[in-house]
Amino acid sequence: MEILNNFFMGFGYLGHIQPIIAIVAGVILGIMVGAMPGLSPSMGVALLVPFTYNLQPHVALILLISIYIASEYGGSITAVTINTPGTPSAVVTAFDGYPLTKQGKAGTGLGVSLVASTIGGIIGTIILIFFSVPLARVAVRMHPAEYFALAIFGLTTVASLGGKNWAKAFLAAMLGLLINTIGIDPISGVKRFTFGTYRLFDGFALIPALIGLFALSEVFTRIEENKLEKGAQTKFDKEQWPSFMDYWKLKFAIIRSSIFGTLIGIFPGAGATIAAFLSYDIAKKLSKSPETFGKGNPEGVAAAEAANSSSVGGALVPLLALGIPGSASTAVLVGALMIHDLVPGPMLFVERPDIVYSLFAALMVANFVMLILGLMGAKLWIKVTVIPKKVLMPAILAISMIGSFAVNYSFFDVAACIGFGVSGWLLKKYGFPMAPIVLGMVLGKLAETNFRRAVIMGGYNVFFTRPASLILLILAVLSIGIPLYQTYKANKKEKNRI
Amino acid sequence: MELIKFFGKGPGFWVLLAILAVIFLGIALIVLKSSKKRYAGRILIPVFFIELALLFGTMALGFPHKGEVGPGVVPGLWIVGILTFSLLLFFQAISKHEEKDPPWGKISNVAVFILMTILYLIIMQFIGYYLATIIYLILGMYYLSYRNWKVMSSLTAGWVIFSYFAFYRLLYVPLPRGILIEWIFG
Repeated sequence: MEILNNFFMGFGYLGHIQPIIAIVAGVILGIMVGAMPGLSPSMGVALLVPFTYNLQPHVALILLISIYIASEYGGSITAVTINTPGTPSAVVTAFDGYPLTKQGKAGTGLGVSLVASTIGGIIGTIILIFFSVPLARVAVRMHPAEYFALAIFGLTTVASLGGKNWAKAFLAAMLGLLINTIGIDPISGVKRFTFGTYRLFDGFALIPALIGLFALSEVFTRIEENKLEKGAQTKFDKEQWPSFMDYWKLKFAIIRSSIFGTLIGIFPGAGATIAAFLSYDIAKKLSKSPETFGKGNPEGVAAAEAANSSSVGGALVPLLALGIPGSASTAVLVGALMIHDLVPGPMLFVERPDIVYSLFAALMVANFVMLILGLMGAKLWIKVTVIPKKVLMPAILAISMIGSFAVNYSFFDVAACIGFGVSGWLLKKYGFPMAPIVLGMVLGKLAETNFRRAVIMGGYNVFFTRPASLILLILAVLSIGIPLYQTYKANKKEKNRI
Repeated sequence: MELIKFFGKGPGFWVLLAILAVIFLGIALIVLKSSKKRYAGRILIPVFFIELALLFGTMALGFPHKGEVGPGVVPGLWIVGILTFSLLLFFQAISKHEEKDPPWGKISNVAVFILMTILYLIIMQFIGYYLATIIYLILGMYYLSYRNWKVMSSLTAGWVIFSYFAFYRLLYVPLPRGILIEWIFG
């Protein structure tokens, strides 16, 4: 009851004009930041921190948190319309979102991503409000062995991402993992595969890599195949926008992915991208028509978007309950809290419940504002698909260049983006999927640091002696083994039939 | 072990790189002259990754051993994975279990675009982001045989104005101003 009372008190703080303006401005800026490849949610939040110095603490935090939640949705707009994920987690949205656009159903992709993001955000917020303290305690007690097992479990999505090309998918994931080891080793400080250049000390930045692998490779493929005809969609058609029944069909996928996304978001270092990959994989495995995933199945878009938006609520759990940032964006939020003399952690609930509960209420309202602004902007987003490809292709290249540059203000990143683009174009031609490379790059650090920490703490056996780690590893083996066995059985059946 | 250390860094690394390049070219020549030339791409891609794994593996073996799990252990695991799957794909390709190579389209168009993009980045250093982007976008659209000048100019102007306000003014991204422009205008 006390929680509910506090929550309604939080809504009371939103009854002024300033917090409402902060939410609307934050959502607009967040959608823009998310939609722009190269600007990550954490970067968007960080860049706006200086503008909040003179604001009241709760208004400042409401603005930043609105940017954070809306940017996770914003990433899906360019992923669906031009196959250029604005955020790393939107990579998964592009798997089915862009094929929908190619079929002339951009409205379906955008509508599903918007509604799934909104519901995901709301469910994430509800879990944050009611379960933040106990969940955070469980998450921070996780042993490195369990984190490693979680990363391995995340990697198993490769088996279903690859489908028939599973060997290529695994090779691509291994490449991503190896790319991730480039740079200074975070544990021993040894320079690994840097080829004597200081630019590689931090390894390859993720954003230029994913812009290259997804956006540039697609542009090069289109130019090579000379597929520069007009887009399939010619106007905003209300019939293309999903109906209530279309959303209703996705209810289980959205709710399941939202809960799962929040739980993954709670684990420090896991984040929106892993949540989206895993939820997509689960949705595919549980679907009655898994073969349509990757070819424009709205369920794939819903699973990815619900998961990445709900992970925001999850990431805020350890931040607010224990003062531990679980993601880059929440790390920036710690800074913002401290600027206003607020120390995140359990005492914040006691000393400043007004701040905590106004943030919860703002998160809830921000999701609805995002839905309204997303619907209003739909006509505009869909217009991207009617831009002639001969105009769009050079424009995507220009956006990609500035997007890669903006990450570290480095031309090396831009060159890396082109390199990844050319490699992606060649590999795609020979049936290599791009997503496992990104997955490897995302999970590499989590897997390696926790593997080594676990071995240092308990030897190589530790992975099998801790129950949670063992269960996750068994699940990982089953996740790989079952699809591979099914493929083997299907191939054998086909051979016998012939 | 001494030999691996020699190839892992310094001049030895370049010798290894040269040896691997020669081997790759040799295999490419053999495949292209054999009955498997329709599978050349599918054979050469795994060969490339096998060589890449060998190169990185040699470097990893040269990393100092620090503690129970040194810095080379985890990269070593991924390298073994790359070798395993590359060998699998290689044998699938030479035993013709794979499909034939896909046909190539207009590679020259892609090459021109890549070259244009590289030139765009170089020119940007001299004439700045804004002028370079105007030239790049218009030339890019023109090369793809788009001729609606109204659309070309409005999109280019719109993008340059947007990037000025969004990236330079709002987000403080230091877009290159150009050596020449700075020299002329100070």
